Amino acid sequence: MSAREDILTGLRAALAHGKPFPGAEPAAAQAVTRIDPGEDLVARFIAEVQRVKGEVHTAANDDEALDITKDLLTSHHVRRVVMWDEAHLPLRGVWALLERLGIERVYGDNTSVAAAEAGITGADWALAATGTLVLSSGPGRPRMASLLPPLHIALLTEDRLIPRLEDYLAAQRVTHFGVFRRSSNVTLITGSSRTSDIEMHPVFGVHGPLALHVVLIRNLNGRI
Amino acid sequence: MKAESFEKIVNHALADRQLQVALDRGTTRGVNARLLAMSETTDAQALRHQARLARERALNQLPELLEQLERNIVANGGHVLWARDAAELNQHVLTICRQHNVRRVVKGKSMVTEETALNHALEQEGIDVVESDLGEYIIQLAGETPSHIVFPMLHKTKEATAQLLHDKLGMPLTDQPEAMTRFVRGVMRQKYLQADLGISGVNFAIAETGTIATVENEGNNRLSISAPPVHVAVMGLEKVIATWEDYAVLVQLLARSATGQRMTVYNNLISGPRRPDEPDGPEAFYLIILDNGRSRILASEYAESLACIRCGACLNACPVYQNIGGHAYGWVYPGPIGSIVTPLLRGPLTAPKLPYASSLCGACQAACPVEINIPDMLLKLRRDLVQAGDPSLGWRLGMKGWAVAFKSPMLYRLGGRIAGWLTRVLGRGKGHLRWLPPPFNGWTAHRDFPAFGTPSFRERYLRRANGQSQFKRR
Repeated sequence: MSAREDILTGLRAALAHGKPFPGAEPAAAQAVTRIDPGEDLVARFIAEVQRVKGEVHTAANDDEALDITKDLLTSHHVRRVVMWDEAHLPLRGVWALLERLGIERVYGDNTSVAAAEAGITGADWALAATGTLVLSSGPGRPRMASLLPPLHIALLTEDRLIPRLEDYLAAQRVTHFGVFRRSSNVTLITGSSRTSDIEMHPVFGVHGPLALHVVLIRNLNGRI
Repeated sequence: MKAESFEKIVNHALADRQLQVALDRGTTRGVNARLLAMSETTDAQALRHQARLARERALNQLPELLEQLERNIVANGGHVLWARDAAELNQHVLTICRQHNVRRVVKGKSMVTEETALNHALEQEGIDVVESDLGEYIIQLAGETPSHIVFPMLHKTKEATAQLLHDKLGMPLTDQPEAMTRFVRGVMRQKYLQADLGISGVNFAIAETGTIATVENEGNNRLSISAPPVHVAVMGLEKVIATWEDYAVLVQLLARSATGQRMTVYNNLISGPRRPDEPDGPEAFYLIILDNGRSRILASEYAESLACIRCGACLNACPVYQNIGGHAYGWVYPGPIGSIVTPLLRGPLTAPKLPYASSLCGACQAACPVEINIPDMLLKLRRDLVQAGDPSLGWRLGMKGWAVAFKSPMLYRLGGRIAGWLTRVLGRGKGHLRWLPPPFNGWTAHRDFPAFGTPSFRERYLRRANGQSQFKRR
């Protein structure tokens, strides 16, 4: 017998004389959440991101968002970026901004991407209760943009804010979890990379980005 | 593990000042962080119960869920391999390495690969393996094994860590964890980019979409499974869960229980290899599902132990772990849950002391996010050991005598009086004894024995029962 058959046969035999937990209640139709984000999602999101050593910059409109992005890139002395295609960003003009600043956009294999000092991405959703960004991989949306460079800039409009992880997953159920067929990698990012391995003492900036900056665009310019 | 070696290791651990400092600093922070994170949920007990039910439902339908998981992973372009035991899992990984001409492997943290000693198997074939988690990397440099499920180098102080990085890699000496971390980041960068294959563990496998979830903070796991052209994930077969709703409950409870975080920094959800239109990610994805004794546990009265989500909260909470550290447990899984899992996976007689390495105080059960009744299983394992004929003749006779005395009120009362009188005489009125005669001298080898008080508990209870207190008998 193959290992597969052996194991499955063994498991079925183990369950043949009754389930180990006959009293296990069926799941509730909707997950009951025990985490309350409060009323003001924007305030909670900003507070949560700060708590995990990220920064949220609020922009009243697109022009302000571009200015903030420019300041972040220049203050970090960025020469090269790896970024999502502009079609996947909630902000127009990033590409033109990079050209004006003389910043090179790098693509392709790991070695060239590793030289980038910043990554620029959008986000599918943001979870207010935990200060979490939801990013899915896809065409024009490299994983490495939010992973390899020391600085991660995430561009986000306010309408992408939802209360909790449970709300994100409930929305995916409605669309039959298509995102997990389309995207090989969905990542939930909560703050800058960190470790507590040395005496459980928290240190920020380990293998992932050292700094996370979220540009939150408040005025939606009639986009919704 | 030999029976006497456990006591020897424990004695070494108790005398090791550096270890005691590291354990004290680490477990105290761990316990406090968990309590704070759990207390801010709206109903921590209800949350734990939801998590428990999610695990129970999964274990009730393991074969169906594993088949569903496999179907969905294959539909997403991944491969699924099954391993009956440790050797078969390692063989699968070696075969994959040969197929893809792999010379260099980078690894995220995985307890299952510790269980199968995968690194050793790869090194034997001349394949270079680097652990990418900071703690695992430092331990690999030191030639040691993890001493905690979540914090592998909990046994090491920052001073010892700095010395190791200085000796092995020439890092300038520092007592700043920040500086050490930044130094290792620089060392690891190239290793991710040069690796031919990345290995990760699995925290949860969501059957309904064929997705594996890994939970981490450093970004090393996401790099290990995104940068190399091949990703191999390994999981114990109990890791599968049914739905995304179950995932939402479990993953948030895992973070709060393990590190006191609301969410860990990266929750990586992997559904097969890179899609043809995606710009990066591995071209090949393999999931290896390991049994290694788990289906046998499912059939036993210890099925509950398979509900464990490996958060490590019971380790931090355990007064025994807090004092002896993880290495004393002798194998991969330490602490209260390790005292159950180790004898179950390896056979009870390989670790006959572990079920006794507990005061049964219940701190582990109180800390467990999935309400596992650890003390109860430890007691059952002790019973199994007795039935297997493990204890000495003296122990068995002593227990027989104890049972006789406890069944007779007269003998119990008499024994209590004699013991009380003897300890008061031997204690010479000081209230404690520095020395007890054999076979009780084991107790006084490490601590004093308190003399029995007067009146005895029994006498006080009788007085209360006879109406001399506010606690009246009905």
